Amino acid sequence: MAFMGYSRSMSADVQLDNVWVQFGDFVAVRDASLTIEGGEFFSFLGPSGCGKTTLLRAISGFQAPSQGRVLIGGKDMAGIGPNHRPTALIFQNLALFPLMRVWENISFALEVKGVDKTARRKKADELLELVALPGQGDKMVHELSGGQKQRVAVARALCAEPEVLLLDEPLSALDLKLRQHMRTELRAIQQRAGITFIYITHDQGEALTMSDRIAVMRQGVIDQIGDGTTVYDHPQTAFVASFVGENNVFSGRVAEVSGETATVETQAGRFGARLSSTAPVTSGDEAIVFVRPESIRFSDGTAHENNLTAELIQQEFEGHFWHLVLRTESGDQVRMSVMNDGSTGVHDIGSRINIGFSAQSAIVLARGELAAD
Amino acid sequence: MLGWLRWFLARNGVALSVYMLGAVALWVIIMIVLPQLFMLDFSFRHNWQQMDPSKMGGPEDVYTLVNYHFLAYGSPNNPDPFNVVDVTVFFRTIIAAVFVTIFDLAICYPIAYYLAQVARGGKARLLVLSLIIPFWVNELLRAFAFRILFGEEGTINAMLMGLGILSQPIDFVREDVALYAGLGYAYILLMIFPIYNVVESLDKNQIEAARDMGASWLRIHRRVVIPFAKPGITSGCTMVFMLSAGALAAPQILGGPSSLWFTQIIYQWFNTGSNWPRGSAYAIVLMLTCVLLVLAVMKIFKVKIGEIGR
Amino acid sequence: MTSAGVMRIAVGFYILLFFAYLFGPLVVMSFTAFNSSEFPSISPWNCITGEWFDVLVKDKHLMGGLRSSLFVGIGVVLLAVPIGLAASLLLTQLQKRARSVMYTVTISPILVPGVVLGISTLVFWERIDRVVLGAEDGFFYDGYFMTIIGQSTFIAAYAMLVFLARLQRFDPGLEEAALDLGATHTQVFRKILLPFLKPAIASAAVLAFLASFENYNTTVFTIVSESTLTTVLASKVRYGINPSISALAVIIIGLTLIGAVVYEYLKRKEEKAASALAAEGLPGMGTASSPRPMRIPVGALTGLVAVSLLAGLWFAQGYDVDECKVRVAEENRVRFEALKQQKLAEAKAKREASGESAEAAVEANQAGRQYQNIFAPTNLGQQVDSAAETETETGAEAAVEANQAGRQYQSIFDPGNLGKQVDSAVENE
Repeated sequence: MAFMGYSRSMSADVQLDNVWVQFGDFVAVRDASLTIEGGEFFSFLGPSGCGKTTLLRAISGFQAPSQGRVLIGGKDMAGIGPNHRPTALIFQNLALFPLMRVWENISFALEVKGVDKTARRKKADELLELVALPGQGDKMVHELSGGQKQRVAVARALCAEPEVLLLDEPLSALDLKLRQHMRTELRAIQQRAGITFIYITHDQGEALTMSDRIAVMRQGVIDQIGDGTTVYDHPQTAFVASFVGENNVFSGRVAEVSGETATVETQAGRFGARLSSTAPVTSGDEAIVFVRPESIRFSDGTAHENNLTAELIQQEFEGHFWHLVLRTESGDQVRMSVMNDGSTGVHDIGSRINIGFSAQSAIVLARGELAAD
Repeated sequence: MLGWLRWFLARNGVALSVYMLGAVALWVIIMIVLPQLFMLDFSFRHNWQQMDPSKMGGPEDVYTLVNYHFLAYGSPNNPDPFNVVDVTVFFRTIIAAVFVTIFDLAICYPIAYYLAQVARGGKARLLVLSLIIPFWVNELLRAFAFRILFGEEGTINAMLMGLGILSQPIDFVREDVALYAGLGYAYILLMIFPIYNVVESLDKNQIEAARDMGASWLRIHRRVVIPFAKPGITSGCTMVFMLSAGALAAPQILGGPSSLWFTQIIYQWFNTGSNWPRGSAYAIVLMLTCVLLVLAVMKIFKVKIGEIGR
Repeated sequence: MTSAGVMRIAVGFYILLFFAYLFGPLVVMSFTAFNSSEFPSISPWNCITGEWFDVLVKDKHLMGGLRSSLFVGIGVVLLAVPIGLAASLLLTQLQKRARSVMYTVTISPILVPGVVLGISTLVFWERIDRVVLGAEDGFFYDGYFMTIIGQSTFIAAYAMLVFLARLQRFDPGLEEAALDLGATHTQVFRKILLPFLKPAIASAAVLAFLASFENYNTTVFTIVSESTLTTVLASKVRYGINPSISALAVIIIGLTLIGAVVYEYLKRKEEKAASALAAEGLPGMGTASSPRPMRIPVGALTGLVAVSLLAGLWFAQGYDVDECKVRVAEENRVRFEALKQQKLAEAKAKREASGESAEAAVEANQAGRQYQNIFAPTNLGQQVDSAAETETETGAEAAVEANQAGRQYQSIFDPGNLGKQVDSAVENE
């Protein structure tokens, strides 16, 4: 079936059934099971070395799983090489062919099928329109800017008419501004093309802005799968809480559980925090209270559910936000971000400040591995 | 192995796999290993082909050490305790090759260092390019050039006599000066380039730092440059030694009447001597000696064979 | 003068000396190609002539050798380059230990003496010929076949090194990308890897051809009854020399120089394009790094070639070789006469004084040496001999001496003699 310009193409679901990938003694992917819906923008998010790229290579066919099955469109992919799978991969370094022109790069998938030159050229020009690079077909790859190369890589992959597009950190080489722009662009292309995107990244901002759903990975294990707000607001493990977005960490022991909140005894004080609906703690557990910097407020006379006094040791002005770093009497560091509404006064470094946060804005999770800074 | 083969086949496809494995098998087995083994086998045989072809494959066609014995002791009625001519030539060849190597190292190291670290831009490139030019000229023609220079009627004698330094021409050929100069000349490039390649990758700051700390030039070279250049030096020395010990053209053209090169004796056995088994035995002795010597030197200087030929 | 200044001068002098060693022999040899003297030398300069180029072109042996060298060279390119390519590709896909084993084995033909390669190839294929074909001079025992195989054994290793160097810069992601886009393995090889390796294939082919073209040590064993340029050259140089070989050298040096200039020109053009591109991408950058200094040497080189060509043309117009030759011959004859008279007078005086002929012989011998400086030694040496023989009363002895001197001279250059010496030394069974 032909992929014509803006029409929606066929998309397939991808199913992983207890997939393991091992290299000798090293387990790169441990028992991954999930289903990615057709037409979904799905991200694997995790620090480098967590196994997300290996998982992607298992889906694309460059790496055979040691155990388990990969199904695409309900079909078992065992023994099917990358050139026979309905997937196309966009490489981290893009892997554009340096000796070919842009249009030759894009239509390479047709060239290997023996499609004649005029048809190939026509198709390449259509795809250049799609990725907003009209008329650039005759350039050589090295004449393009970073963002343009990015789009050519996408066009080249789309030309193979994949049912699933796999993207391996394709934006990591771009500068911040271009990266932010390309996020929107990729999302738009995905919606126009209507095929399944599986996106690999270590940048939570990318995952959160683009994805329908995100799987957070740690050391070969998928910790949590959910949409952006779920993963951000309702983390299931200490790792997810610390990896996705910034969080203040107070370790301690659960003193009491009542209803949907628990009270935790920490070095910095006794804090109330809500329980995770999927991974609740019980009384006596070792636990961690996570509070986002933006959830911490100045007390300014009014008392919060949880209160602290801390010494201001650093403050940065970022326009719409003030970022403060404070140290509690117990020695814990606390970061807080305060919206700049014009009335926020400047504090002196070294001054003691009363701060606090609500129990609802904090979450308590069982003690576990935290993401490295 | 089988697992690797399956992976290899999957990675490259059938056609490409067959081409790669086939071509390499042809090269390694048919062109490198088997001929060497056959030569080894040959060196342990009698020369029935020439002496009495009817005995080939017969009961008398057995393995023998006679060819190696001959190299060491000569013919049965040789009055000397060993084969004076061949053994002397053998050791002289090895020692002379060592001297040629040292000579080349001595004259090439400064040039390689100069080209890699001192000379800049266009000048360096021109010099490197001009180094290559003599190398493209045939080995025989280079030897011929030295014969013109060093002959009794040659340019050097004419010059020295013209200047009144000499009253009689010196027979450079007889004195082997021509041979050594020609051999040294022939392999200059093979000494310079390995050293040049390594020294070029040496961070200039290291030299600057050493100089900054007050090290003399001699010390900088001894402590910084030479240790760094060791793989290149070993590589160059190996090549030059092997090639000069195995040289045939230069000794044939430039060698004096009384001084033979070991390869010339081998050549004689194959040519006029018509004794291939004996020639094979001599060739094996030459090759083994060279290889063992090089391996020993590499062991002493702690350089791996993988670093050779880069 | 500062010590740095002394150092710089010393370094400059050393480099000058080194390059004199490098180029001196070639320059002298090149000049001998234009001297009308029968013996390649420059010291008694006779006449400028181009006749040795004629002699060269008309030399059937050399031209035949050249043809078979070309044939063998093409054969080696066709065999060694694909083998080197396959080996380099295989090497990059092997695990560490297997890779170092294979590297050692495949690089070993470079380190093994060329004669050993030639001998093993000869011995192996002769045996195959006898055992497999049951024939004495069958297909495998063929000079061309064995030479191509024997040379390829080590030239394939050169090719492999060229490919390995290029492959180091290859991004394997490109292969995966092509596979992922649906290309078959063969298509990946043909459309991605081969285009990338194209420059390396070209340089490997050139290298292989040149290495084959100038190989002697291996070829001399494997060529059997045929002959290549190098084997013809070797026998020519060994058995008697004339400046036509210098003329061949001039041609080869000239081709090399042209090749070097073309190479440098192409490289500069490429770099210029690259820096222009860089300048386009990053305004103000790139142009500074363009290799300006190279312009001078290349320009100078081409200029030099042009000037010498023009000078040669101008010279050729007003110059007659034959006239010069006659003049030189006359001059030589006069000098020869004078010398002869002088020597005879001396000999006579000596003989009268002491009555011993031995000294006269020594004198005559010395005279012979001096003549050889002036004349082509082989012909004129004999003239001196015969002159001494007829004119001196004790001529017989003198002639013997002089003859011995001549023979010594020959024996130095004549490996046939040398071979006989070896034989007699070796064959004292």
